[in-house]
Amino acid sequence: MKRLQLQRWSSSVLSPRARTGGRLQQHLYYSLRRQSTASPALQVESEQLVDESSLNSSIPSSHIRQQPKYILPSPPVEAARESAKLAALHARLYLPSRLPLETLARALVDPSADSNSNFNNESLATLGHDLLTYYTSEHLLCTYPRLPLTVIFAAMYAYVGPKTLATMTREWGVEMAAVPGGEVDPGLLQFQRVAPGTDLDAEPVSNTTRPNDSRMSWRKSMTSRIVYDNEFGDPSKAPVEPSQQPTPGAQSTQGVTAEQASATFVRAVMGSIYLHAGRPAAKRFFEQHFLSRHLNISDLFNFSQPARDLSRLCARENFEPPVAKIISETGRKSRHPVFVVGIYSGQDKLGEGAGASLLEARSRAAVAALKGWYLYSPLNVRVPSSMEDEGAAAWKPVHVDLGEVIV
Amino acid sequence: MATSLVVPKRPFLALPFLLPSCDSVAMELRRHQSSYRRTKQRLRVRPDASFGVSSTQFQDHIVHNPPSSAPSVFHTPVKFLPPDDARRSLHTDPLFKHTNSEVLPTVFKTSTEKKYHLNKSDIEEIRKLRLSDPMTWSRWKLAKRFECSPMFIAMVCEASPQKKEIQKQVLEAVQSRWGPKRRMAREDRQLRKESWGRDE
Amino acid sequence: MPVQGIKAVATARNGVGAFILQCKRLDFHYCDWAGSSRGMNAFLKHTLPSFAKANPQIEIRVSPRPHKHPVIKGHYINGREKAICVRNLEPEQISNKANLLKEASGEKLKRTKKPIASINESVRGIWSPYHGDNKTV
Repeated sequence: MKRLQLQRWSSSVLSPRARTGGRLQQHLYYSLRRQSTASPALQVESEQLVDESSLNSSIPSSHIRQQPKYILPSPPVEAARESAKLAALHARLYLPSRLPLETLARALVDPSADSNSNFNNESLATLGHDLLTYYTSEHLLCTYPRLPLTVIFAAMYAYVGPKTLATMTREWGVEMAAVPGGEVDPGLLQFQRVAPGTDLDAEPVSNTTRPNDSRMSWRKSMTSRIVYDNEFGDPSKAPVEPSQQPTPGAQSTQGVTAEQASATFVRAVMGSIYLHAGRPAAKRFFEQHFLSRHLNISDLFNFSQPARDLSRLCARENFEPPVAKIISETGRKSRHPVFVVGIYSGQDKLGEGAGASLLEARSRAAVAALKGWYLYSPLNVRVPSSMEDEGAAAWKPVHVDLGEVIV
Repeated sequence: MATSLVVPKRPFLALPFLLPSCDSVAMELRRHQSSYRRTKQRLRVRPDASFGVSSTQFQDHIVHNPPSSAPSVFHTPVKFLPPDDARRSLHTDPLFKHTNSEVLPTVFKTSTEKKYHLNKSDIEEIRKLRLSDPMTWSRWKLAKRFECSPMFIAMVCEASPQKKEIQKQVLEAVQSRWGPKRRMAREDRQLRKESWGRDE
Repeated sequence: MPVQGIKAVATARNGVGAFILQCKRLDFHYCDWAGSSRGMNAFLKHTLPSFAKANPQIEIRVSPRPHKHPVIKGHYINGREKAICVRNLEPEQISNKANLLKEASGEKLKRTKKPIASINESVRGIWSPYHGDNKTV
């Protein structure tokens, strides 16, 4: 992708109209501050808006320049060049030099600190979240094409879930400001904290995208969780209508947890790398910081009735029915017997397990056999996004599986 | 020579792994040597036969020495590989088939072969019997009569609510006589059972 | 539901993929008056700019600490800090101390007994007495 196109792209994402259309007029007062990362086209646009607003409102622009810092909800853009913390963070993450410090400073401002979408990281985080989940899901689906959906959700959560992102923020050495404000060092993560004593799990998630959400007794099928729930299998909040947006003052009193703010920051960094340095840099950043983390996928399974699932699987795939056979045993009449049981389908061994009773060994063997099925990984895996590289080889279809066992 | 020794603490001459260089005379002469050297000598185990020069193969070959550990779940069994996978052809070597599964004993005495011999009228009768006299016709008795598994009986019919209530009271009466130790042991057993599925 | 997922968090492996320098801040304290700070003052004047340029990942703070010995303090990502008193040291020695703090991981010094510590599974698995080339009796 050429850089010019990127700039055009970025203007649509960074522009306040892209996702938060109706909120622009509320924040004209703030938009007089110079935009941190805006293309020339956008600046012209915003200047026109400023002209309109200066006609309507009586605030002269010269007053705004001289505003003391502590009136602003987040640090001014000029402060980014003077912050040692910010420059150190930029260098510590080996961010590309095309990503300016001002954008990194903007990525550190949570929407709860500055509700103006021109200065907070909401739009960057939205883009970064989409990129992160896209890259992770394509990696998981291509590497392990047979994973059950619940395990995919768990693996997604382990790679790019909010808890992991908060851990990453800590491991990157990002410090948090106690309270957001204009005088705060722009190298600190700024967000409005939740009031102490608030019970976060007090009320269940309401107003989700799922229809008939209020009926608690209705069964939530796995397939419906793909459609209605988010990428981690949790209920996702429905977007609020722009007309029903709360006023900026009311919104700022409602804080976020440190985990949520950290997750938003990491997503915003990902989005800003994509905007400023392009897709290859974003992909490299993802591989170096996210995919390089260690996750043992075989630990994410929790079977309730493995033997039954395995017999259903063999029936579906037209294998011979599985038979549990004792491979070796010791001390059957003692206090600590050990049985090694293998599960055979015809002549082939599907899995084996050891246990202190025949039932335990058989159950563990069935778990091992099922994991052997689900954790199949093809050779020479390629992900769809690798086709966007220049001079990529012709695409070969990846292995697509029938799906998990349904009992 | 070994018999002439005056009650050795360990019959180390009988150990099979001693190298031929340590013959019995040398042993006897060096009885007072430092223990470090003696232990080092004993650790000098003769290598496994598979590592030596094979009598059948004279050119370079691969020594196949399977690890003494449980197989990893990331090694997909050959049966589970899709037909177009390249690894399928690699595992067709008969050398890899160590155990003959036919000779191994099964875990359960009874065969788990399904017979599918019950028809609709039989199932109707099962339901009728269980509803009419639940105390006599329990699941196991029905299973024995119709030569199927108790699981199958549970699949085709359900106990009447009265019977369920009685059974619940019986269970409560039994459990009320449990002391804390027995109760805790039962709970632990249940927890252990759940951990099997997580492979812990 | 036949199988359920267990929520977990992927563990970081610093240096596999990206490497994050663990030292995030170095504080240099000096005194204008005391003689024990002579080497430190020379270091701050001549060597520190090039040191800061070579290590942009580290935030550097220089502050006076009157009537006290000069000190270099390193702040680390794991929340710990290490301080080295550099009284009466030459600028080269101070530069070595600053490098020492830069390269430290912030952990307490521990004696390592094993040459390699890894979270990866062994290729040949965990030894079990029931597997492998069993000798039949």
